[in-house]
Amino acid sequence: MAGLSIERARKSFGATEVLKDVSIEVADGEFTVIVGPSGCGKSTLLRIVAGLEELTAGRIHIGDRDVTGLAPSERGIAMVFQSYALYPHLTVYENMAFGLRIAKVGKTATDTAVRRAAAILNIEALLDRKPAALSGGQRQRVAIGRAIVRQPEIFLFDEPLSNLDADLRVRMRYEFAELHRQLGTTTLYVTHDQVEAMTLADRIIVMRDGRIEQVGTPRELYDRPTNIFVAQFLGTPRMNILPATVAEGGRATLADGRSIALPALAAPLAAGTPLSIGIRPEDIAIGDAPGALPFTIGFIERLGGLATLHLGGRGEGEPIACQWRDDGSLGEGDTVAVSFAPRHLHLFDTDGKALETMGK
Amino acid sequence: MSLRRWSVTLLAAFAALVTIAPLLWMASVSLMARGEAAHFPPPLWPASPTLENYRELFGSFGVGRFLLNSILISTLATGLALLFTIPAGYAFAKLRFKGRDATFRLLVAALVVPGQIGMLPLFLELKAMGLVNSYAGALVPWLAGIFGIFLVRQYCLSIPDEMLEAARIDGASEGQILRRIVLPILTPIIVTLALYVFLSSWNDFMWPLIILADQDLYTLPVALAANSRQNVQDYEIMMAGAVVTTLPVLILFLALQRYYLSGLLTGSVKG
Repeated sequence: MAGLSIERARKSFGATEVLKDVSIEVADGEFTVIVGPSGCGKSTLLRIVAGLEELTAGRIHIGDRDVTGLAPSERGIAMVFQSYALYPHLTVYENMAFGLRIAKVGKTATDTAVRRAAAILNIEALLDRKPAALSGGQRQRVAIGRAIVRQPEIFLFDEPLSNLDADLRVRMRYEFAELHRQLGTTTLYVTHDQVEAMTLADRIIVMRDGRIEQVGTPRELYDRPTNIFVAQFLGTPRMNILPATVAEGGRATLADGRSIALPALAAPLAAGTPLSIGIRPEDIAIGDAPGALPFTIGFIERLGGLATLHLGGRGEGEPIACQWRDDGSLGEGDTVAVSFAPRHLHLFDTDGKALETMGK
Repeated sequence: MSLRRWSVTLLAAFAALVTIAPLLWMASVSLMARGEAAHFPPPLWPASPTLENYRELFGSFGVGRFLLNSILISTLATGLALLFTIPAGYAFAKLRFKGRDATFRLLVAALVVPGQIGMLPLFLELKAMGLVNSYAGALVPWLAGIFGIFLVRQYCLSIPDEMLEAARIDGASEGQILRRIVLPILTPIIVTLALYVFLSSWNDFMWPLIILADQDLYTLPVALAANSRQNVQDYEIMMAGAVVTTLPVLILFLALQRYYLSGLLTGSVKG
């Protein structure tokens, strides 16, 4: 096993630059998830690590080897594709053994490796089947099995759960986590789904437009996003962003003229400075409290136990999403008292960059 | 069964009968005694079936030689066509190289030019190369048919890139990918293509007639045509020749028709 280091990677397709000076360090044994909206360059980055695309500039090291110019098979990686990419004319066993047979590994060693991987993934009963006779989840397991058999230094996963239905996705997510615990192989996992990123990753890399926005543990990124993009990308429903201006006395005036208390800023701002206030839906408190503001409920999304209240009537700007344990006592059109505790507020300047507050 | 289904079945049976009747009569006449088929009205069955016509065909007429010529040329044409067409079609579909799409468009555009137009220039070219009146000359037009390249390319387009990339990561070379991943997936289209080339080259009359001057090199259709000019009245011998020409390819087609149809349908219907 080995760590991965990408230094100043650039990649252009013609005039389009899809990776703009990206540097990443993945520690040995770490599960790193690259997340971002489609077109952010995350899959290209993964394909570059795999050796399926060439870098325009930059270097890639796996362990202490410079693999920048090496063929995919010489890099010590294994990749699982979104479409599984199984060989349709070969049985599950042959699919998993393919790489070893190409490498002219002996029959016994191949058989041992295939059966060991099959046992880990619980697909021993499927070894004689062709991919067409497998369900989506089983195909996914075979694809992972094919990767395990290679005993790679690094696993690369390209949106491996996107083709599965919601139920199976949850289960496979759990299995990925379990598998990583068992094998401990360094893993680079690409997804556009922030839930996968939050649940699986030791560390998350958030990308946008070919650049890295932030790197950190799921908790760090969730609690201390460095900009509005990251703040809103992680978490559902996403973080509310309220435009405001700084007022006297450690307070801010919201767009509707009402004022709320701000956390203490590390570098205080002059009154009248515009800023954005972010608050996560689960951090908004409903109920009478000192300083609470009345809001009208525009719409309620009921999910059973929990509900999302959309505060603010029509024509009053972007509604504020707020999570609420649904006891049936509230209805659309009701007015509720809402408080924003200063310690839960995230402050961003006009460029969307996070402002440092005391105590965070 | 409903009336509707009965009538459809009857109609299909009638169409099949109309189609197969000439073939059956061909076989029947080939077993008649000399001159029997020239009676009016022509008989449907031989009065006393005989293999005399076949004996003469293989004996004094020497059709065995032409049969071997045909088998040799068609087999080689099929083998060579597959050898060149499959890698070409695969490359046009899946490999990245400069001028790929422009070259392919040019090839496809050439499809609309009737083959006969190219025969004279091709003949002159082969004459310059000294290939006239040789098996090699007869084989040249089959080497890399554009239709075959097109067929293989279209089929290859349906192979996901990720599968080939997975094989690359597994350490397979481009040659191994073609042999071990692409070829097995292409089986239906390869059988289709092989049948198509074999049937076409077997039935081809015009090009062997032009390029082959030496009687010993004649293929069956050319030899039969030459013979028919000499024996215009000998229907029975002619029909025996026709049976010898038709039977091998008919058997081949019937044996492989399942692949042939599935091959022709792929691309239009996702399978």
